[in-house]
Amino acid sequence: MREDREEAPLIGARLPRVSVEGFEGPLDLLLELVEDRQLDILSVRLGDLAGEYLARVRAIGVLPADEAASFLWLASRLVLLKARSLLPSLEPLSPEDEAVSEEELRARLIEYAAVRQRAALLGERIRSGERAFHREGGTVELPPRGGDTDALAAAWSRVLAIAARARREEAEVPAERYSVEQRTREIEEIVAREGSVSFVTLLGADPSLSFAVVTFISLLDLYRRAMIDLEQDELFADIRITKKQAPAAKGAGAAGTERKGSVGAQRAGE
Amino acid sequence: MRSELANRIEAVLFVAEKPVSRSELARIGGATPRQLDVALAELGGGYEGTGLRLQHDGDEWQIVTTPEAAPYVAAYLGADRLRVSPASLETLAVIAYRQPVLRTDVERVRGVACGEMIRALMERDLVRMAGRAEEPGSPLLYGTTSRFLGEFGLRSLKDLPTARDLPPPPGTRVAGTAAAS
Repeated sequence: MREDREEAPLIGARLPRVSVEGFEGPLDLLLELVEDRQLDILSVRLGDLAGEYLARVRAIGVLPADEAASFLWLASRLVLLKARSLLPSLEPLSPEDEAVSEEELRARLIEYAAVRQRAALLGERIRSGERAFHREGGTVELPPRGGDTDALAAAWSRVLAIAARARREEAEVPAERYSVEQRTREIEEIVAREGSVSFVTLLGADPSLSFAVVTFISLLDLYRRAMIDLEQDELFADIRITKKQAPAAKGAGAAGTERKGSVGAQRAGE
Repeated sequence: MRSELANRIEAVLFVAEKPVSRSELARIGGATPRQLDVALAELGGGYEGTGLRLQHDGDEWQIVTTPEAAPYVAAYLGADRLRVSPASLETLAVIAYRQPVLRTDVERVRGVACGEMIRALMERDLVRMAGRAEEPGSPLLYGTTSRFLGEFGLRSLKDLPTARDLPPPPGTRVAGTAAAS
């Protein structure tokens, strides 16, 4: 009853869903009942469907817990409506109770019916292959100009340049081992002590590939955790790493770093 | 003859791989918004009867192929047809017609949890975050993407297929304003 199966990945296929009879949820099941019996959605007494609804839910077998809850919620509403129709003197117990009147449920069902119809219309467009294509891929993405992301892009290209150079050397020199955690701590200490430091300084004169990569990743991590600020005057220029200012002083740059433990910013690497 | 402005924006849209905003087109083309609208209409009109057409997601414009040409383009690209489970399609339908919409609203309409499904639709670039609601907790609002329009061959959100034989959904949050801007 539902559509053909092909090769392409199916969105939502891996997700837990109730599909024994192809029902997508309690409202779907209720709507199926209405439609199967060719009842008028606007006038059907929903409480009358309680028995059949429960029978269908029972037939579903295994339900994921969250799905079961929503199925049972609707079941309880239907039973309540049924009870009210049998015992008209039954008064609503609470405002919350009142909110699940037959009209409310009917409105939801109608709304859901509209959604299902719209979904079918959209599905029809997919099946008929009515689709538009646009150009994709091919153009070189130029690095953006200005701002902190530039610093990262440029620094990365610098790391790559070092990597290209280091690849030759690493064949001979046994690789040193660095951990990002260790290097992050080191940089944190340097920045706390100096107030500000340049990327070139951090890399040293002739860094190995792994050292450069670890340093770069550490900077990314620190930046992500808002421990440092990155600054760069122009593309591919050196990057200045400063200790993150208090929010009010954001963007003030490296100058005038006055906080406990670091008196006056030493300008390393300049 | 087509206007010089229409030619300029056509050239830009031709090389662009993602939708270009109206304001950017106006800036690049050296035109006022009003002139741009005229040029866009001219450009779109000029594509009638060709294999291309203009598509726009709000103010974001793009040149795309026509649905009629889709089988051939798909054959050339070896493109797979989009496949969406019925449940995801329902979720997508609620978002498309109601956007911007809260997850809780989608779930209320469908009667089941939809968080995972929305995430999967976002991964496939059919759904995007469309801001936050001005409500306690500022919950996320969701809307559809340009890719959504493309996959379903819609020129814009105004092109969403309409079902006329049902009464309007009751309690609609932002009925009618979804497609605007």
